[in-house]
Amino acid sequence: MSSNPDATVAILHSPIGVYSLVRVKVVALRNRVSQAIADSPIKFLATTALLGVVWVGLYLLFVAVFAFLKQSRMEAAIAIPMVFSFFFVAMLVMLTVSNAIIAYTSLFAVEEAVYLLSTPVPPRAYVWLKYIETLIFSSWSLILLGLPLMFAMARANSDAAGYYYLFFISFFVCFVPIPGAAGLVLAWLIARFLDRNVRRRLIITAAVLLAGGLVWTIQTVTTEDAASDQWLTTFLLRINFVQSVMLPSSWVVNGVEAAIESQTTLALSYLAVTIANAMFLSVVAVRVVSWKFMSAFDRALSSRGGERSSAASPAVGLAGKVFFYLPMGQRLIAAKDLRTFVRDPVQWTQLVVLFGLMALYLVNVPKLSGAKPLEGWGMVIPFLNYGALSFILATFTSRFVFPLVSLEGQQRWLVGMLPLTPWQILISKFAFAMTVSTFVAFSTTVLAVIMLKMPFEWAVLQVVVTVATCFGLCGFAVGIGARLPMFEQRNAARIANGFGGTVNLVVSVMLVLTMLSGMGAVGYHNRTRGFDESLDLSTLMIVGVMIVVALSGGVAALIIGSRYLRRAEI
Amino acid sequence: MNQAIDIQSVHKHFGRKVAVHDLTLTIPRGELFAFLGPNGAGKTTTIKMICGLLHPQRGTIDVCGHRMGINGLAGKAKLAYVPDQPFLYDKLTGREFLLFVGEMYRVPAAEQKRIIGELTERLVMGDFLDKLTESYSHGMKQKVVLSAALMHDPEVLIIDEPMVGLDPRTVRVVKDLFRERIKLGRTVFMSTHTLGVAEAVADRIGILNHGRLVCLGTMDQLRAQAAAQHSLEDIFLDLTHPELQPGDGPGAETIPEETPRDKGDSHVVES
Ligand SMILES: Nc1ncnc2c1ncn2[C@@H]1O[C@H](COP(=O)(O)OP(=O)(O)OP(=O)(O)O)[C@@H](O)[C@H]1O
Ligand SMILES: [Mg+2]
Repeated sequence: MSSNPDATVAILHSPIGVYSLVRVKVVALRNRVSQAIADSPIKFLATTALLGVVWVGLYLLFVAVFAFLKQSRMEAAIAIPMVFSFFFVAMLVMLTVSNAIIAYTSLFAVEEAVYLLSTPVPPRAYVWLKYIETLIFSSWSLILLGLPLMFAMARANSDAAGYYYLFFISFFVCFVPIPGAAGLVLAWLIARFLDRNVRRRLIITAAVLLAGGLVWTIQTVTTEDAASDQWLTTFLLRINFVQSVMLPSSWVVNGVEAAIESQTTLALSYLAVTIANAMFLSVVAVRVVSWKFMSAFDRALSSRGGERSSAASPAVGLAGKVFFYLPMGQRLIAAKDLRTFVRDPVQWTQLVVLFGLMALYLVNVPKLSGAKPLEGWGMVIPFLNYGALSFILATFTSRFVFPLVSLEGQQRWLVGMLPLTPWQILISKFAFAMTVSTFVAFSTTVLAVIMLKMPFEWAVLQVVVTVATCFGLCGFAVGIGARLPMFEQRNAARIANGFGGTVNLVVSVMLVLTMLSGMGAVGYHNRTRGFDESLDLSTLMIVGVMIVVALSGGVAALIIGSRYLRRAEI
Repeated sequence: MNQAIDIQSVHKHFGRKVAVHDLTLTIPRGELFAFLGPNGAGKTTTIKMICGLLHPQRGTIDVCGHRMGINGLAGKAKLAYVPDQPFLYDKLTGREFLLFVGEMYRVPAAEQKRIIGELTERLVMGDFLDKLTESYSHGMKQKVVLSAALMHDPEVLIIDEPMVGLDPRTVRVVKDLFRERIKLGRTVFMSTHTLGVAEAVADRIGILNHGRLVCLGTMDQLRAQAAAQHSLEDIFLDLTHPELQPGDGPGAETIPEETPRDKGDSHVVES
């Protein structure tokens, strides 16, 4: 009988380690996969194939972009290392934040935590488990995005040796724990030392500072002498910080560059530095976080859903008014979704961080109107902006908008009681999604056209295309979300990662790629004309086709979704 | 010394909301204790503190002589906790989950097999134990979670709402399981709203209201105290009458004035 003292001694002497915990997860994963294969092999194959399509599509896109950049030799020299450095700095920031968010929710806010921590699992083993899980969760999407980018880089540098690929993957894997460790500690600090009110004030302060800094930078940049041809130097100076030796991202950048140039020893030593740091930081982070972990856990559990409701906050109050144009029932649903969105930091922080990075990058882009040192370059930057923006939007719609209809299935009785047709319900979901995505996309694009000092006609074109993309993406997410729902699932992340979610992601990426090719065509067509000349007929026709594609795609998805819901009698 | 659970002057508040107010309660080994109280009385909070998941702002809790605090592993090794929202890994089968729990508590492999076999038979889990738990009904989940808690034959079994969603036959089996554990000298601490079960099996009953223990004793003692009422339901409704507790702050006085104080370990707690 294990109640005797010996068993207790055994548990305390050799408590369950992280290996056993990870093994359970591996068994669960294996069950999940074999279940998916057994349940519907076609669905499983389709999902895998679709992911492959996304991956290859991204790879081809990046190859095309690099080829385009290479057309003018100087651009290749400047732009490729820059894209590279920027990519890894962006990864550093994004991974830190997304790790912090995921670590916070998975360390403190799940039933699993309550269960495991009531057993004699040592907090340190538990923290290791969550750390590993967080790393995998937060980096897999970047793997999907990062690998094609890096492979395209290798192709662009045709002299890269075959083992470059091996180097790159090792760098990538060894780099991820560094921001991961930082994110873990950040999550712990938030749970340990900040109570709700302090946290709220801190977020507001940070937002104000960010906005102030942005305005200031815009002013300084826009008041600079427009005719100056010094922009290249200024630009390079500005982004210099991204290449600082102390930043882990620059070890990776330097290492990968060394690998491209076949300097194996140098590349290896950079890899060694990265590995050593990753291991050291992981151990330190887990030790720090598991030290007095139970008291951080107590705080996190106790502060959940505190006393003060945020009903009075202006953002939430506004939610009721934003949708004034919808009839009452639909307005209620849209406003409810917007309120949920505003109250759930997990949803909006990622969006804010992505667009913050976008803005940071934009204010570093020189104005190009007066200066024309490089032909074709002028068209590239708006193209890249639009590309980054629409990928961010696609992430948002497939992660947060897609699950909305499925989640409503939980309250089937509630929505069933409202006198609304499926179509009306979808329209209110769509209105919510459009409001959020257009708000961010519109402000970012306006910022971009101001920074680039684009002529009015071109600015309007950029804004219109962006809004049309929003329309298409939101239509897809809502419509496909209704056509391929997962009503039994409560976890939004799981819904987004399921079959329907993958279909939606692929369709969204295809829309983005189509729109990007349109933008590319516009850029190519106008490569010798520049912004100074007004839009010609072919440009307008290309843009017209793009808009029709986006709008009709969105509407078609909504119609298909609502037809299905009507038949399914939700 | 020989107490299974020893709660001394424990106080817990969430922000300004007092959830548990100066609670002192000792459960001797070999007792089946039923913890009653209206919604939001503080039962789950108390249970989470016993399991070391929440820390009281004041007071101490010991389980089998081990202090539950920052490092409560020794105490945790002695107890098993079944939360009010049963937790299972979706993509594990019931059996895989039970084996995992057995490993966590270092139960020898042969022993694990024996216990799983025995519980499968008694709780009639044979049909579904090898299916993924995501396909279980609420009651099936309850059965597996309960079995998991029994895997290491815990000194103290702590259950939040054990009977919700179980069919009458299973309720009977669970009651029997509890009584058998008591015979073996183990302790069971359960929070419940099913007064009938509490009345039928509990050795002692405690009623919590607004974070205070308003009543504690055996069924007979409770009956003696509240001379007019005969059923536990009447006593419960009387002691937790909403009109007796204006507001939820700690200032609310909860004890009917005329309730006589009893000798022995039955008493009505005053603050
Ligand atoms: N994490 C928390 N944050 C804030 N308040 C909480 C938290 N957990 C519980 N409370 C509050 O503490 C009080 C006691 O809650 P508890 O869950 O202990 O009640 P309970 O007796 O288990 O109720 P029920 O019978 O409904 O399960 C309630 O008023 C509740 O609102
Ligand atoms: Mg409860």
